[in-house]
Amino acid sequence: MKPRHPIHPYLFLLPAIVTLGVFFVVPLVIAFKNSFYSWDMLTPPRWVGGANYAALFRSGEVIGILGRTALYSAIVVALSLGLGLALAIALDRPGRIYAFVRGAVFSAYVVSWVAVALLWMWLLDADAGVVGGVVRALGGTPRSWLADPDRALFAIALVSVWKITGYAMVIFLAGLQDVPKSVLEAAALDGAGPLRRFTNITWPLLRPSAAFVATTALLASFQAFDVVRVMTQGGPVKATTLFVYAIYEHVFVNLRVGRASALTIVFFVVLLAATALQLLAWRAADRARASSGGSA
Amino acid sequence: MTVRPRTGRRTFVERMGAAVAAALSGAAPSACAPHDEDGRTIVSLWFAYGGKNREELLALVDRFNASQPGVRVVATYQGEYFEALAKLRTAIAARAAPALTHVIGEVVPYLAEAGVLEPLDELAPASSFDLVPALAQEGAYVNGGAHRLVALPFNRSTPIAYLHGGVLRELGLGPPKTWDDLRAFARAATIRAADGSVTRWGFVCPIDWWFWAAMVGQAGGEVIAANGDVTLGGEAGVRALRFWQTLVHEDRTMKPPPGRDYNAWQAANGDYLAGRAAMIWTSTAFLRYLETNAKFEVVAAPLPSDVRASVPIGGTLFVMPKGSAPRVREAASRFLAWMMDPEQANQWATRTGYMPVSRRGMETLRASGYYAAHPNDAVAVDQLRVATPWPWSPQLFRVQREAVQPRLEEAVLARRDAALVLEDARRAAAEP
Repeated sequence: MKPRHPIHPYLFLLPAIVTLGVFFVVPLVIAFKNSFYSWDMLTPPRWVGGANYAALFRSGEVIGILGRTALYSAIVVALSLGLGLALAIALDRPGRIYAFVRGAVFSAYVVSWVAVALLWMWLLDADAGVVGGVVRALGGTPRSWLADPDRALFAIALVSVWKITGYAMVIFLAGLQDVPKSVLEAAALDGAGPLRRFTNITWPLLRPSAAFVATTALLASFQAFDVVRVMTQGGPVKATTLFVYAIYEHVFVNLRVGRASALTIVFFVVLLAATALQLLAWRAADRARASSGGSA
Repeated sequence: MTVRPRTGRRTFVERMGAAVAAALSGAAPSACAPHDEDGRTIVSLWFAYGGKNREELLALVDRFNASQPGVRVVATYQGEYFEALAKLRTAIAARAAPALTHVIGEVVPYLAEAGVLEPLDELAPASSFDLVPALAQEGAYVNGGAHRLVALPFNRSTPIAYLHGGVLRELGLGPPKTWDDLRAFARAATIRAADGSVTRWGFVCPIDWWFWAAMVGQAGGEVIAANGDVTLGGEAGVRALRFWQTLVHEDRTMKPPPGRDYNAWQAANGDYLAGRAAMIWTSTAFLRYLETNAKFEVVAAPLPSDVRASVPIGGTLFVMPKGSAPRVREAASRFLAWMMDPEQANQWATRTGYMPVSRRGMETLRASGYYAAHPNDAVAVDQLRVATPWPWSPQLFRVQREAVQPRLEEAVLARRDAALVLEDARRAAAEP
């Protein structure tokens, strides 16, 4: 369709451009500028060149945060994807009980992060928590999940999985509605077992849903803040200091706006690189599918 | 019939227009004195208490408002100390700071050096308040020198030990007087089940800078030297950290509660009230709260000594951020003076557990037999003899939050060598 005036498409784009510019580009440019200054918000900023970046890399802080965030994200994405899919397949059945269980699983997603975090702090308490009680009843020794530097990251990752798995399940349930029953029945008549039907029919048709769930879970895990703020405040021993919390800590605890800005820029570059890699991978997969389809 | 002023759409638009014009012209929004519909000057007060202490503060504010025809203090809760401080800094940068607030002692010299605090000695000389010198941080600036008065004490406290009266009777022991006593007490009071789980800890103490600073003092050191050097106690600092390591990992009689800052403090209180801790270290601020909620006898005791007795003074001081209109400053100073008065200082202290900041107020309480009748309240007041104000250096806050606090966890929870950890902390403290 040809616009009546060449400027019309740009006018339609204007609201999005202004929104992105004001809330994304301008803050990013300001953060980039601030990253070359030492500033505590109260006294005038002082130019320090690349000292903020140097301090972040020299101290190993960036690598540490990146490693922890990547591990947390890997656990959250993999488990929410796997559990969401398993629950969707198990609960994709008619009946009130299944509907109730589906609702119950999804309900965790609509509860606020703060409420979820407080609930799990109580559940995970080594001395008085329900989890510790169950472990004790089974003959084990309860551990202090949140006070142990080796376990705390796994604890908050599992809480995050518990929170968002219901959402993954709902997306997969929607995806399952699009799987034609006739194809599954035909495959069954041809002698395909449940596993074969899943791997050859259901899973290929669920791939777009899986990609969507993986992307949203990845975004949510990289932006994790509330669960850290409430449950561990980045500790113990920085074991749960993820990217966003580290930025918060530099600004509001350490009074270092410049260093927080430098960390923001590093975070932006890392995410940009990850997105570019993901795009490249998708395009390569598309090309591979197109070429295999062409040769068939 | 009372005719109330209407706030119609037109008025709203006019006010919005004025606000936008003021913002565009760069005028500070707080430059004009806000007032309520009765013409009383509004003094915004940001505070950082929850629970009982919040109720007591609001009761005092209500009493002040009822007694003042021309001033209304509007108190707003802003989260715990560090959240409130983060909001205060942002508000100062955005020129939207409250007329009054209270901040922890460690950050006052930093804010003063940044030039964001209103001098208070213009409103009234410090001597006119007759304050307890240590609680008012008198002469606490490192390197000495003359400094303007920028803060007045409000809720000042020291760390004290809270012991479970029932456990003391069960073990036939008294509160520990030395570190060795503490170790023995924690051993005797810890109950470990056959599967290794602990049903009662001998000692629960947050891995927090305040308690470490207390132990540094007890081991004979000082966190910041009189000339401003960040020593972190030298050998005494290491000894304090090693003592914690011993209790947690060798004796396994001390539980470091999960969480940081006040989350860990709350967890310690929870363990104590549930009978899962025979002894905790926490602030005098929780005295009334713990006494009210415990189902057993609460026994308060001074912290034990190592080579000497010593505790740091904690809590907060009132400050007046710059930017308020002169009329608001004058009204705020009236509230401050009222709060420093022995009657109010004592009401606050006796209903919370903090120390009375007024010297005359403290003497009145003593003379009236209050401390004899309330021995738990007397602990902190008696401990004042060995209490030291924070060494006021502009670096103190950053030393606390950035250099030391995270490293204490490293030493105790991740078992890093105490000397190396403190060496790291000194290096971090020296960073610009």
